[in-house]
Amino acid sequence: MDEMVISPSALKRFFIGKPIASSEDQHHRLSKKVALPVFASDAISSTAYATEEILIVFMSLAAIGMTAYANLVPISILVIILLAIVVSSYRQTIYAYPKGGGSYVVSRENLGRSPSLVAGASMLVDYILTVAVSVSAGVAAIVSAFQNLVPYRVELCIGFIALITLANLRGLKESGALFAPPTYLYILSLASLIIVGLYKVYFQDLGPIDHTDPYAQELLATQKSLTLFFFLKAFSSGAVALTGIEAVADGVPAFEKPEPKNASKTLVWMAVILGTSFLGLSVLAQKIQPIKDHEGNIKITALAQMAEQVYGGRNIFFYITQFATFGILILAANTAYADFPRLSSIIAKDNFLPRQLMNRGDRLVFSNGIIFLGIAASVLVFAFGGIVNALIPLYAVGVFTGFTLSQFGMLVRHRKLKEPGWLVRAFFSGVGAATTSFVAGIVVVVKFTDGAWIPAVVIPTMMLIFLSINRHYLRVRSFLQIEEGYVAPRRTHTVVVLVGSVNKGVLQAVKYAESLRPDKLLAISVVGSNEEKAKLESNWEKYKMTAELETISDDFRDLTDSILNRINELDDENSDDIITVVIPEFVTAIRSQWLHNQSALAIKARLLYRKNTVVTSVPIVIE
Amino acid sequence: MGIRSFGKKLNADNQTLDAERLCERFKEYDFVSIVDSTCRTRTKIAGEIKRMRIKPRSGIPAVELVINDGTGEATVIFSGRKSIPGVDHGKCIMVDGVPHKVGDRTVVLNPAYTLLG
Repeated sequence: MDEMVISPSALKRFFIGKPIASSEDQHHRLSKKVALPVFASDAISSTAYATEEILIVFMSLAAIGMTAYANLVPISILVIILLAIVVSSYRQTIYAYPKGGGSYVVSRENLGRSPSLVAGASMLVDYILTVAVSVSAGVAAIVSAFQNLVPYRVELCIGFIALITLANLRGLKESGALFAPPTYLYILSLASLIIVGLYKVYFQDLGPIDHTDPYAQELLATQKSLTLFFFLKAFSSGAVALTGIEAVADGVPAFEKPEPKNASKTLVWMAVILGTSFLGLSVLAQKIQPIKDHEGNIKITALAQMAEQVYGGRNIFFYITQFATFGILILAANTAYADFPRLSSIIAKDNFLPRQLMNRGDRLVFSNGIIFLGIAASVLVFAFGGIVNALIPLYAVGVFTGFTLSQFGMLVRHRKLKEPGWLVRAFFSGVGAATTSFVAGIVVVVKFTDGAWIPAVVIPTMMLIFLSINRHYLRVRSFLQIEEGYVAPRRTHTVVVLVGSVNKGVLQAVKYAESLRPDKLLAISVVGSNEEKAKLESNWEKYKMTAELETISDDFRDLTDSILNRINELDDENSDDIITVVIPEFVTAIRSQWLHNQSALAIKARLLYRKNTVVTSVPIVIE
Repeated sequence: MGIRSFGKKLNADNQTLDAERLCERFKEYDFVSIVDSTCRTRTKIAGEIKRMRIKPRSGIPAVELVINDGTGEATVIFSGRKSIPGVDHGKCIMVDGVPHKVGDRTVVLNPAYTLLG
């Protein structure tokens, strides 16, 4: 019609790309080398901030000064033991659920409805936080390298979230080509940092960073003694390193055959890389002594401080480390974009979330879930000012709740099936469940006031929302259920045509109304004056209209109300009737559409959800 | 639900206002109010014309009026006529006839009438 106007659908096409047919949905399998970066980016990326988070608790909150560095490695070892327990438990999940066994599925199958909903809610919250935390940490890596970007931290975060959202709406596949380079680059840069750093420390006498900043010196000078409370708090901060390791268990079907074997090997590799680099970074941090506070006064990340010291200034290696960190963190955020929509669609399929989350968009992705995730993460980043440390207390609760339920589910499964050697496996799952639930408890208790109360409130609330959505769907289903011997009733059909003046459109609308074969046909017009009425009636005569014409005096110049009152009255006349309201509507080009139909629109809006009322527009296209 | 019931309330207010106005208008006459009219008894009722309906071609032509005196509505049917001079929206009319009930509605068929202006 008009080539110059860019229609909304053209705009969408420009951003999202051209639609993909359902039949083109491809299930490509991943080899181990490719699967590792795809699934591990989330878990491994947490090394970028886990060490720093432990340090913040010791330095800034516990105020134990230099002692912090001595406690760094013991905490890291505890975290790695936890990692080993969780991984050994997840290996069993992989073999038990080769079709993908996230916490939600495992607890649904083994523990029942309520635990599965807790797991589902926890994981959804966790995915939102993964995006918020990873993007914030990625941006932190960038602003550490380019100090003048510091004031724009939040804007950068939201910008990147928007970009990732858009890329995912375009149907960004978890392709190795995209994931492999940044992930391997990050692993290499970490390895290089640790090896070069430790080499320089032990063989070239590289000393700790000389902190000249008075604020940093103040932090270093504190001399409180370490309490159990802060030790546990530091441990729970370090435990965020474990986030994302459930990804492999979720995605078993994506592996090459034999899926469980490949998946479990990949999981072990991932755990080894994660554990080694985390420990390595902690040892290095003990020697190099970077410093960081919880209020964000020190703008440079601990990793950046170490890289600067090890590489002797801001050279190419420093920038490579920063960009690799940024890259893997953005990828980590991206994995949540695959997981969140998938999990929400599974929950929606079980009738606990709105059906819309099952809709796949033009590019065969769950668009609504992706958009929701993007918005939720942006809100979080905005609310917490894009500061990683502020988001961390919210993070670990969901993760460890998910872990606990998943492993407890496995324990129940082992007891039920009693496969050969089940006792040993049940023991591992039991230890895993006990440890992770203990950690979840610690996180809630020691970080309650820091923000852990938010998931502690949000997760049960989400569960209630799930249940009420489910109740609604069940109610609708039982209402629509066809009982034995049900026959749809024959109803008295009254058709009302709304008439403004007699014109071609009205003649067509009346003709259409007659074709509905109503029991009663009535044309209704609200007239402002008796002259108007006389003209209408004479025209009605002139064009040989057969329908009865009713004119209503417009006492209060309120067209919509007069018509609605009349329809209410008509409805009251019969108890079993159904009323069809036929509205002739002019359709013109979009730029002149607003000149028409304002009253028709108002009437339609009021009638749309009325019981026993059908509203029909007869379009009169003006060419 | 909220919006709709709110709308209903506002509607009722408009209608109440109108009913009050009509009651005031018909106070001077000594007619039976529509709500008090007895079925199958010759009665004089009056009201303002609120709606008119014409049946142009289906069978016998007829003019249907709905009158309102503030206490209620009555339908007045004049069969065999296409229009009645002087009978228009907003005019007051007195009808002298036998009301009967069709469903909930009071209907008077072919009464004698007087235009009140």
